[in-house]
Amino acid sequence: MKKILLALFALLLPVAAQAAGSVSLVSEVFVERTETNADGRSVTTRAEPDMVVPGDNLVFVLNYRNDGAEPATDLVLTNPVPDSVSFSGTDDASAVVSVDGGETWGALAALTVAGADGASRPAQAADVTHIRWVLSQPVPQGGAGELSFRGVVK
Amino acid sequence: MFNRKQSRRSAIGVAQIALLAVTAAAPFSAAHAAGTLAGTDITNTATATFSGPDGNPQSVDSNAVTLRVGELLDVSVASTDTGDVGVLPGAANRVLKFSVTNGGNGPEAFALTADGSAGGDDFNPTVTSIVLDTNGNGAYDAGVDTVYAAGSNDPVLQPDTSLTVFILSSIPAGATDTQRGQASLLAAAVTGTGAPGTSFAGQGEGGGDAVVGATGAESDDQGVYRVNAATVALAKTASVVGPFGGTGAVPGAVITYTLRATVSGTGTVNNVAVADPIPAGTTYRPGSLTLEGSTLSDAADGDAGRFTGSGIAVSLGSVAAGTSRTVTFQVEID
Repeated sequence: MKKILLALFALLLPVAAQAAGSVSLVSEVFVERTETNADGRSVTTRAEPDMVVPGDNLVFVLNYRNDGAEPATDLVLTNPVPDSVSFSGTDDASAVVSVDGGETWGALAALTVAGADGASRPAQAADVTHIRWVLSQPVPQGGAGELSFRGVVK
Repeated sequence: MFNRKQSRRSAIGVAQIALLAVTAAAPFSAAHAAGTLAGTDITNTATATFSGPDGNPQSVDSNAVTLRVGELLDVSVASTDTGDVGVLPGAANRVLKFSVTNGGNGPEAFALTADGSAGGDDFNPTVTSIVLDTNGNGAYDAGVDTVYAAGSNDPVLQPDTSLTVFILSSIPAGATDTQRGQASLLAAAVTGTGAPGTSFAGQGEGGGDAVVGATGAESDDQGVYRVNAATVALAKTASVVGPFGGTGAVPGAVITYTLRATVSGTGTVNNVAVADPIPAGTTYRPGSLTLEGSTLSDAADGDAGRFTGSGIAVSLGSVAAGTSRTVTFQVEID
């Protein structure tokens, strides 16, 4: 019985990267808070919280790594923007976004959404539902990278 | 749900572990002005697809990071009277109206306190009770709306909802016209108050932390009572015309008395009446009583004045502040 329980526990253990192939993927979320220190200067701290409140600035970080013996090709990383988070941008110009739940992709400036009156309007950061990175080069064995985007707790 | 980030080392060599499909899920998030409801979980999972060594597409999910949305404590109080509330000196149960709004993202109870003793005004109203607009009609209904008792019926407000709260005060008898007296209502989150960012571990809605928002989780506002007191001043003048045209007060001379009632201040004085006895040693001249230049009959009849046998009496009714009424009558020196 104990063994079975242990085995179950092993199954349930949170697993950072389900390496179905040879690429591992780790998601981290940080909250950025800006405070004014004793010198009157504003200091931005980045912490890994369990709890956030509306208005908190979040930084989503994706770490990928090719743990396999061969290069990984056609690597595409997709991160749905969680509900209750409003996408606020990425510093990574190679990212594409979707404003329709992942149906179509492109640079934010090239996308439109239907406004309240039915007419289409240019998409804004808050409309983004997914962000995606399409890596043009194969990731060699042991190759790794970090991608990030930002959001605000609604 | 796993809500801890995993170390990167655990990513290695776990190919045989079943893929745990975890999708981003926030079951009861709502598009709310106050923000995501307290207790909501924000879960982030990313997916990678790639071609493996055999050329077949493969997919891998990241770990799921779950953040719980804590409870933001915010409240605002605003006076909702359209201006100063007019009162009379010595009046009781005068009502000031406020709205208390829960600006946070979770249901929260608020403790209320009222204060009439702040400075910067002319008098201090005595706050006698705080009343909750329990029937929600926005007006104070004595005996219907619930009297607030601190700690026993602190109102619980849902996020983004407001409650009308009344302050009832007595006005000092010594307050005079145009004087103003302030009373303030303070609402404070029962969970706690403090500098924005102050955290109360585990005390938030849904088991998360409660965090003080930008308002400090307490707010107050003032309402103003203004005394609208009108006063009546009566001025009496006399002019004498002697029997031979002189002004000496000799027997046979006629004295014309003019009584001018002037109302000053604010508002209206009701049931103003003027009465004046006929001086000893004189006799009332019948038919000499006038109001605003019009003759009044001596009898107690439909008009406003009469001769009582010992003096005159005129009812002026309601007189607005800033106006006056003039009564005249004549006597003859015996």
